[in-house]
Amino acid sequence: MDIANLIENLGEHTVNGLSKGSIYALVALGYTLVYGVLKLINFAHSEVFMVGTWTILGTYTVLGATEDATGSWIVLAFLLAALVAAALASASTALVIERIAYRPLRRRNAPSLIFLITAIGFSLALMEVFGYVLARFFGPPFGRGTVTIPTLVPRSTLFEIAGTSIDNIDVIVVVAALVMMVGLDRFINQTRLGRGVRAVAQDPDTAALMGVNKNQVIMLIFVVGGALAGVAALLFTMKFSITKFDIGFVLGLKAFTSAVLGGIGNIRGALLGGLVLGVVEVYSSALISSNWEDVTAFVVLVIVLMFRPTGILGESLGKARA
Amino acid sequence: MKRNTVRVLGGALLSLALAAAMTGCGEATPEGGGDEGDCKGKIGFMGALSGGNSSIVLPSWNGAQLALKQFTEKNSDCKISLVEFDTEGDPAKASPVASKIAADKTFLGVIGGAFSGETRQTKATFDAGLVTMISQSATATDLTTDDPAKVFHRVVGHDETQGTAIAKYLTDVLKAKQAFVVNDGTAYGAPLAKKVVDTAGSVVKAQDTVQEKQTDFASTISKIKAAKADAVFYAGYANEAGPFLKQLRGAGVKAPFVGGDGLYGVDFPKAAGSQAEGAVVTCPCQPAAEAGGTFATDYQKEYGEEPGAYAAEGFDAAMIFFEAIQGGNTTREKIEEFVDNYDKDGVTKRLKFDDKGDVDLAAVKIWTYKIEGGKLVPGEEIPLD
Repeated sequence: MDIANLIENLGEHTVNGLSKGSIYALVALGYTLVYGVLKLINFAHSEVFMVGTWTILGTYTVLGATEDATGSWIVLAFLLAALVAAALASASTALVIERIAYRPLRRRNAPSLIFLITAIGFSLALMEVFGYVLARFFGPPFGRGTVTIPTLVPRSTLFEIAGTSIDNIDVIVVVAALVMMVGLDRFINQTRLGRGVRAVAQDPDTAALMGVNKNQVIMLIFVVGGALAGVAALLFTMKFSITKFDIGFVLGLKAFTSAVLGGIGNIRGALLGGLVLGVVEVYSSALISSNWEDVTAFVVLVIVLMFRPTGILGESLGKARA
Repeated sequence: MKRNTVRVLGGALLSLALAAAMTGCGEATPEGGGDEGDCKGKIGFMGALSGGNSSIVLPSWNGAQLALKQFTEKNSDCKISLVEFDTEGDPAKASPVASKIAADKTFLGVIGGAFSGETRQTKATFDAGLVTMISQSATATDLTTDDPAKVFHRVVGHDETQGTAIAKYLTDVLKAKQAFVVNDGTAYGAPLAKKVVDTAGSVVKAQDTVQEKQTDFASTISKIKAAKADAVFYAGYANEAGPFLKQLRGAGVKAPFVGGDGLYGVDFPKAAGSQAEGAVVTCPCQPAAEAGGTFATDYQKEYGEEPGAYAAEGFDAAMIFFEAIQGGNTTREKIEEFVDNYDKDGVTKRLKFDDKGDVDLAAVKIWTYKIEGGKLVPGEEIPLD
């Protein structure tokens, strides 16, 4: 136990944790939205994220963006292009998953376990598309190895607060995640479409009687969740500059954990769960060592669920109350 | 609501188990084994032939295939085939491979495991089936010291030697005063880091353990910054070391970076990008130019590139098996006896195994390689005494 290290560098560890947790939270939203409406865990969501990271690599390659790119306007244009492409690609992937893997089952009133199996199956299939199928046809960068994505914005210290230097990347990640989060919360709670989502989440049959198109709402949440995963993919690649065919696996698991920790089905819960999980992980690796972060994360999850079986804020997309 | 949570957790566990069970085992026989003559047999090759760490294994697979080609040219009556088994370096994927090879009596021996973890996991299976193993690159010391398996041999030195050499490099060459040691907690990384720490003593100021598949190293880097490290040693594999080094340099840490032979190969500079420049990788393998005979030029001619990690060791391991089969040793018992008593000069070093399966450690040399222009350039031999 290296308590001195944790206390001396508390600021830095907290920043690291919040930055890590913000990405968890953005991905967690995809799980939470789908669960809130369909009571279904979309395990293929981690691959929606993975497709986003590859799209960013593809966009950079097509536009010729390299680490030597100079001029803030050019870099900004590259980032915006990557953001749009990743959000579109991830949203379409999510939509394809819903159309191919879930809708046919829903029409047949399949039991919920079947959805879980198709979700996992689709997730594996998507991984193998990038890890094997595309590698067979196009060769590298596809395949099972780690691939680097150009770092367009180099890490640099933006400002210091009480001896803790805050890096530009961490600020971008946290601010972007918060903005997306607030935007989504507003969207669900204050718009007409959001009201439809809440209605279907609360009572699909009554919502249908009131003229809400259930299938449209379901498509909408898959698209929104997918687009957010695309944003998360851009933030992830800005932070780590890598991708891999199974990059979504561990992250997806953590994001799902964040969703459960905060209360699955609850948008604010996803944010809180993600941030708590990120900070807990970083603190535990500061205290002991990095290979303890998963252990600590899941121990915290178990403890929280023991006292609050529905997560910190409870399951409530329908009621949409924190 | 409670039931939902249970279902949710069950789903998570299920998906974990499924992903772990995912196999990526490919199999390819270059030439089918014939039926006539005594000189025939099948040898398995087990290692990470795909994945983020495959660049330290593929050259040895090429080396073994080159050995087969040269051997068959000279002995056209011999029908020997090499069969590849891809484990992705994952012990969980290596277990079924080992059972398969052990159960198939046509396999007379196996080259591998390439990594220490998969070797540790499978050596008992091979031992029970009396399948002789000759590893080209599994360097963990405990493979020959703890629960020794009589079928296990290796043509490389072990990490006791490499660890000592790395510690000497940190203290004598880099003149480090406050080194930071990171290990990945694997069967290979953890003991290697321990040896370096034990040998370098108080020079190692702090340590951290990361894990496989980790992508975010921010907290480790915070520790390195806090320790004001003047050298960083990473004991682990390229898959994590690449992103780690990239993030370390991105965070502005300029301290020299040293890695063990787990980083040897193109995967590491590829994953770390331009930030890998100047990083040093040690390896108990000599530069190709130092290898005996015409191996380096033959390899270059065959594959159009310089021999990579453990290519010569793969060649040596394969040749021992081929000579055994040529000598009429076509049962597993006889192969084991032949390999135990083997004593000849190989491409890399004098090949003679002690009763534990190690080569003569006096013949083991540790070299440094520096990354320049995304390539590993041979540096110097680290003197061991």
